[in-house]
Amino acid sequence: MASESTRVNVPGAVSGNGWHDQDHVPGIKSELLELNMGPQHPATHGVLRLLLQTDGEIVYKVTPVLGYLHRCAEKIAEGVNYKQWVVYTDRFDYLAPMCCNHAYVTAVEKLMGQEVPERAEHIRVAVAELSRIASHLIALATFGLDMGAWTPLLYCFREREEILNLLERISGGRMLYNYMIPGGVRYDVPNDNWVADVLDFVDLMEHNKLPEYNTLLTYNKIFIERTADVGVIDAATALDYGCTGPVLRGSGVDFDCRRDDPYSVYHKFDWQVQVGRGEMGTLGDCWDRYIVRAREIEQSCRLIRQALQQLPEGSYQALALKAIVKAPAGAAYTRVESAKGELGHYIISDGGQTAFRNKVRSPSFCNLQVVEKVGVGQMVSDLVALVGSLDIVLGEIDR
Amino acid sequence: MEQNAIYELLAGVLGDGALGYNEHALEPWADVAPARIAEACRFLRDDPRLGFDQLMCLSGLDWDGFDETGKGKSTAILGYTDDGKPETSDRVGTGELGVAYHLYSHALRHKFTLRVRVPRDAATVPTVGGVWSTAQWHEREAWDLLGITFAGHPDLRRMLLDDEWVGHPLRKDYVMPDTWSGVPLQGQPYCANPFPVETGGPDQPAGDQPAEG
Amino acid sequence: MSTHPTPPSDYDVSREQMLDFKVDQQLLQVVDTDAKNFILTTVDEVFNWARLSSVWPVTFGLACCAIEMMATSATRYDIDRFGAGAFRATPRQADLMIVSGTVTAKMATRLKLIYDQMPEPKWVIAMGSCAIGGGPYFKYGYHVVKGVDFMVPVDVYVPGCPPRPEVLLDGLMRLQDKIRGRKGRFIAPKWVTDYAKLIPYRK
Repeated sequence: MASESTRVNVPGAVSGNGWHDQDHVPGIKSELLELNMGPQHPATHGVLRLLLQTDGEIVYKVTPVLGYLHRCAEKIAEGVNYKQWVVYTDRFDYLAPMCCNHAYVTAVEKLMGQEVPERAEHIRVAVAELSRIASHLIALATFGLDMGAWTPLLYCFREREEILNLLERISGGRMLYNYMIPGGVRYDVPNDNWVADVLDFVDLMEHNKLPEYNTLLTYNKIFIERTADVGVIDAATALDYGCTGPVLRGSGVDFDCRRDDPYSVYHKFDWQVQVGRGEMGTLGDCWDRYIVRAREIEQSCRLIRQALQQLPEGSYQALALKAIVKAPAGAAYTRVESAKGELGHYIISDGGQTAFRNKVRSPSFCNLQVVEKVGVGQMVSDLVALVGSLDIVLGEIDR
Repeated sequence: MEQNAIYELLAGVLGDGALGYNEHALEPWADVAPARIAEACRFLRDDPRLGFDQLMCLSGLDWDGFDETGKGKSTAILGYTDDGKPETSDRVGTGELGVAYHLYSHALRHKFTLRVRVPRDAATVPTVGGVWSTAQWHEREAWDLLGITFAGHPDLRRMLLDDEWVGHPLRKDYVMPDTWSGVPLQGQPYCANPFPVETGGPDQPAGDQPAEG
Repeated sequence: MSTHPTPPSDYDVSREQMLDFKVDQQLLQVVDTDAKNFILTTVDEVFNWARLSSVWPVTFGLACCAIEMMATSATRYDIDRFGAGAFRATPRQADLMIVSGTVTAKMATRLKLIYDQMPEPKWVIAMGSCAIGGGPYFKYGYHVVKGVDFMVPVDVYVPGCPPRPEVLLDGLMRLQDKIRGRKGRFIAPKWVTDYAKLIPYRK
């Protein structure tokens, strides 16, 4: 199926070095090579499939093929009630389930007009930020893995296990929690010194472990060579393609839902939005997206510390657990800053216990689309770096 | 900028293309004639007073069986029974389809919502993929799951399901398939209790005794 | 058996020394009295022992459970202790497919393809409730295969959503029992059976 061409103009490719446009060799006709990456491929972060057309080593066209993990969650939302569907939000972004819970219950509460106790919001912020750290740790680990560094994975999983232990103590689940409900959280903070343990962990993470990652991976010469000036997404492209989260901030756009479209109690805390600055190369390259995530871990530590030190007394649920949640007829769109970007929920209610329509705007879905444009003209190995730096999770893309 | 003011600006440009504005809803939205939506979006993006540079979300909607009274009596969707067989119904969907657009402006920090409604048998909406590139995949998804055609879309293929899939699953009258391309999609019946109440029979494990001492 | 064996009548001490084949008298005694010093086995058993000691899984992560599979192979749980840590990117070098996650209709045909590429003997672990029977996607999952055993034969089912790494390790040990050809030693403890009686099941 390779389309014949005597001359391939690869937009964005370095032309003139002569080794990829072979038509100057008489008698040799060059063709585009079709290459299939995935759905079972170690460097595509799940069951993503990329259809590549390559000219030698240069990528001529990228076509992502999705749907290998389409689990019908939006259809299920029309069949199960509001509290039951919290379970399915866990399974969108299974690396940061607390953020997904938070997005959904925020939307339902807005639809219901439900006030949430202050204590519940503080607990939500703390667990969501812990979840974000866990997700960013996986992002650093798998990005390193894509770049050929196996060791950071072992270090990152070591710290992730600590976070999972902490979240297991508060929610009962190791990886998928089903912790937040409309109107609060399911369980109060356990009284076995949980808050002190989290604060200890946060201190350890910020002062001890992050410098370790920096020496191990961030400022590693080989790593910088592989990621700097690679896969550059400029700010206009990022906005046009609806990129959000670390991808948008890595391109230099100073926007974060937690600060600029505030929800929950984020406005009470003192922290900074991290933006890529093009330190190692061009603004918006893979290294910038990487460093934004690494620095967000530090900011998340600050947020957790403030949320738990200022933890107010009071109730952690506005509704009893057995209360049937009914939302009045109407529609609401809310978005929160998940680990991957803006996670939006558009819920239309007909007044019953079940949503009439629940559309999920997942950040990875929009972030991935940009490879169709930016991936063109890259080397195949740089495409792996680009996809790795976008930090996609397929459960969220295919839903 | 206030939502009302945004709508007035929009209505001034669209004329009779602006069908109405739901002011008292939880999130106000503007109804736009389907044929004019691309024009409306281009205006909302390019006007310096509005500057909607981000399409947050594009949602396909199916209003079939919607309970307008607000009592939650909408038609239930079909699923699989406990035996794993697809549920069937004689009902034929009649309601309209629709699309909702959620916009945001990074510079001016305001949001706006547009909605269009199209008849079920001729569901065609102009694409807004030329206004925001991110709309292309959202539109492909809406075509895939709801069967809304987006006129002018450069690459309107199925997004999540396979190209040979039959039907559009998020429609309210969709009947679940029992098999697809040789892959069984029915379920097995729920299993019985693996630990029957009568224990100690010949087939039953005796169970570990707690360690002494 | 208590008497020591006497040397045969034509026993030649000089020949024994020439061959440097010194059989200790005491050893002879042990050999005769305790049969445990001989390893009597079949070729099959040796092969199976070798197979179960180095089960190489194929890197086949599908969904949430894949993260727990990664955690099992990472620092704390270290599946390499059981010889199953060499995750192969190609199915042609692998013996074991851990189906970790939801199998969708689109993925099912590819899953079958990957399974067919694996060389014999091969085993399959269905990890998580989605791979076992559809899990939470049973009722409205129009795109979900309700159990991977519709597509490929499954040897071990590991329940959980997702299963903890300890449970996956336990599933691996049950698989090793199966390869060994002997029944596993797992008997549900009494507290488990007692607790299970409390769970309301559908008729």
